[in-house]
Amino acid sequence: MESIKNRYAIVGVGESERSKNSGTTPLHLALDAARAALNDAGLQAKEIDGFMSYSENDSCTSHQLATYLGVRPKYVKDILGGGSSTEMLIADAVGLIESGQLNTVLIYRSMNGRSGVRMGGGGWDVNMLQTAIEGGSFIIPYGAGSPAQWFGLFATRHMHETGLTEEHLGHVCLAFYEHAQRNPKAYFYGKPLTMEEYLKTPYLSYPFKKHDFCLESDEANAIIVTSAERAEGCKSRPVYIMGLSARQCVSHAHYWNDLTEVAADYVAPEVYKMAGVKPEDIDVASIYDCYSWVVLRQLEAYGFAPRGEVGNFVAEGNLRIGGKLPSNTAGGMLSEGYTHGMNNVLEIVRQVRHEYKGTVRQVENCEIGICTGWAGPDMAGAMILRN
Amino acid sequence: MGYQKPIPLKTQDNRPYWDGADRHELILQKCNSCHQYSHPPGPSCAKCGSSELSWESQGSDINGKVYSYIVSYRPFLPGFQDDLPLVIAIVELEMLPQVKLIGNILQCSPEDIEVGMPVKMVWMEIADERSLPQWIQL
Ligand SMILES: [Zn+2]
Repeated sequence: MESIKNRYAIVGVGESERSKNSGTTPLHLALDAARAALNDAGLQAKEIDGFMSYSENDSCTSHQLATYLGVRPKYVKDILGGGSSTEMLIADAVGLIESGQLNTVLIYRSMNGRSGVRMGGGGWDVNMLQTAIEGGSFIIPYGAGSPAQWFGLFATRHMHETGLTEEHLGHVCLAFYEHAQRNPKAYFYGKPLTMEEYLKTPYLSYPFKKHDFCLESDEANAIIVTSAERAEGCKSRPVYIMGLSARQCVSHAHYWNDLTEVAADYVAPEVYKMAGVKPEDIDVASIYDCYSWVVLRQLEAYGFAPRGEVGNFVAEGNLRIGGKLPSNTAGGMLSEGYTHGMNNVLEIVRQVRHEYKGTVRQVENCEIGICTGWAGPDMAGAMILRN
Repeated sequence: MGYQKPIPLKTQDNRPYWDGADRHELILQKCNSCHQYSHPPGPSCAKCGSSELSWESQGSDINGKVYSYIVSYRPFLPGFQDDLPLVIAIVELEMLPQVKLIGNILQCSPEDIEVGMPVKMVWMEIADERSLPQWIQL
């Protein structure tokens, strides 16, 4: 993969409206996001020859999206997946373009994540869950049916081993909520958070309070990937892919035997090697944030702070704009919106392009950004992007 | 009203475990090739891929200690609304620390639970001829 460094670019990003109740279908949302991304890139829909998406059976198909953009594409692909799927599909797109099968690929995630199928659960058939989840009959009868609980088991152990505290979880939330206050489109715009409020909020699932959970929203996001040569002809400022590690798996999360091992530990060295940079070269980050704790564990995995020191790193304000590693600068999934990671990709592209120049949202002198994906302790992906 | 919570589904791959639980016995799957325990059990060894598997009884007297835990204040699944706060823990077996089981620590308040806490397996009768392995503080 090293040979593709700087040879592919993200040339368009776009999103639909974000709401609690879209009143429309994922297909409508996907069309809005796709048109916004096309407009951003200055491309016509018919210049896209590949369409890809991921979902949890809660979206429209790539074929439908292409159809209603008036395109007869060469290639469509829909995969089942959540976090880290964006990175995986970008890697697929790069491979297909590299081998001459496609020119330009649009990747999207569309979901009525609040008014439709909610990841947070509710209404699931418990026997279906027992069979659908690997090892399900060993967790569902014990009431462990939510990712909040599964990730919490990893978090409690990690906190026990490294001395991370609830206040450290709070610092992640505070930084991202602060960024959301600069983003009028963020779900929690106008809802700042203080440490005092965070600490006195009751637990939903210890060690997590409501602020530690990603929110649920109705929205679609889209990105367009093409070769560096074609990117030159686009309207937007291309953001080049320096490094990309699509997805790594460790033993399935539900084997639960070694909570110290996460897939991000395997992704990190690969993505840095390909990009030829080190953690200290990164100016801005989007760290997958389905829960506050997963940010802390990834900061460790991606080398931003050594094990045991991540708590101090966030307590010093380093995730904030102005800190060492401004992260999730639109508010992240904790406070901006939630499209299984894709909204974090949109933001890192905009930061690296300096799209917010002249405003309080722009991270100064940010030339290199990292975006990480996390589907669970067992799956992860990441990419490093540059201006 | 009978038992409202989910009852473990027996499948081709896990039946000996749950049959054992019904007899109040812990039966673990073990790989004949790499000699590691496989839990949850599966169609082949998740550590080496071998399909040479056997089942080994650990008896009925099982102790362990809490490896990690969470406390649920919301019923994320139906049937648990009367059990809140619910302690869900990963328990490391005393005799086989490489094996960890997920279960509830019964009659345990959120103030008492901690990593390392010693616990003992108990079998909770949940239906006709069905039992669920659970844990109580030792
Ligand atoms: Zn084996």
